[in-house]
Amino acid sequence: MTNKEKYKQAFSTMHISDEFSVEVKKMITTNKKPKLNRLVASIAAFVLIVGSATMAYATDFCGIQRTLQLWIHGEQTNATIQFDGNGNYDLNYIDDEGNSKHQGGGGVAFDVFGNERPLTEEELMEQMAAPDVVYEEDGSVWVYWFNQKIDITDKFENNICYVKLENGDKTLYMTVRYENGYSTSPHKYIIP
Amino acid sequence: MRESVDVLIEKYKNNLFVIAFNICKNMQDSEDVVQDTFIQYISLKKDFETEQHIRAWLIRVAINKAKNKNMTFFRRNIVPLEEYMETLTFESHESSELFETVMKLPEKFRIVIHLFYYEDYSVKEISDILRISESNVKVRLSRGRMLLKNTLKEVWEDDK
Repeated sequence: MTNKEKYKQAFSTMHISDEFSVEVKKMITTNKKPKLNRLVASIAAFVLIVGSATMAYATDFCGIQRTLQLWIHGEQTNATIQFDGNGNYDLNYIDDEGNSKHQGGGGVAFDVFGNERPLTEEELMEQMAAPDVVYEEDGSVWVYWFNQKIDITDKFENNICYVKLENGDKTLYMTVRYENGYSTSPHKYIIP
Repeated sequence: MRESVDVLIEKYKNNLFVIAFNICKNMQDSEDVVQDTFIQYISLKKDFETEQHIRAWLIRVAINKAKNKNMTFFRRNIVPLEEYMETLTFESHESSELFETVMKLPEKFRIVIHLFYYEDYSVKEISDILRISESNVKVRLSRGRMLLKNTLKEVWEDDK
């Protein structure tokens, strides 16, 4: 037996769990992307997002649907959003290439006593207006915030990048950990 | 070209899982990596040249995501490798020994060894996937083989 054959025999014993395909296909058919990582990274320290995007997708959205304008990837975009009152949202919009986009997310907060509560609509909206970090397949990295699009590809040192964002009288100091979320503060850079 | 994600899942889920496991060394994180990789595929509007291009892209993304997973602040309650190995049914003691020895290699050797011996990629293809030089791939491959040989002795042949 050659080394390749031995190697393949040793590793072919591993298999992903049977439930995997079902779970992923469920996510794909709902055509929703997880938004939770961004929420985790940018929300205040006492707030913790739990569960998974899948949970949010499975939720019945029976709240009132409303139309609003959101900045998505630097473009002001008309979107419809629905909150379910349990800390989840469901967002639909048409992107600049005419593709129908659908995403959902949500989260909970913990108070100082450790009690859990769903995020309010205001808190969720605040998170949706937070900066977005996009890693393109060509290796470039971009920060989107309102109408701004900033290339931060070459600004990483030891996987950390510091960016100062300004929009009108609002300033955000942003610390981005490469492909691992970010944090912001209106006062100073948060040291990872 | 674009391939249906259902087809890709059935075709590559296990390969991507094993690749992710080579880096994460635990089942839960590896499954998350595979899931995130397929989600990234459907989120991407990119057209691929061939199915081999898709396969290489999936592998590269899975490797990157697995490395990121290892760097995250929050990790799951990780099942130790030894415990996970007990759930696997190896065809022989040599297979089990080989598996364990590979998992003990430094990560940078392990992934190159895996792409070469399991995925049948050439040195050139591995250098494209990992975005490192061919000479770097050769060095890692050679050192990885040497470490395997030192531990496995006669179970591992000398090869080029």
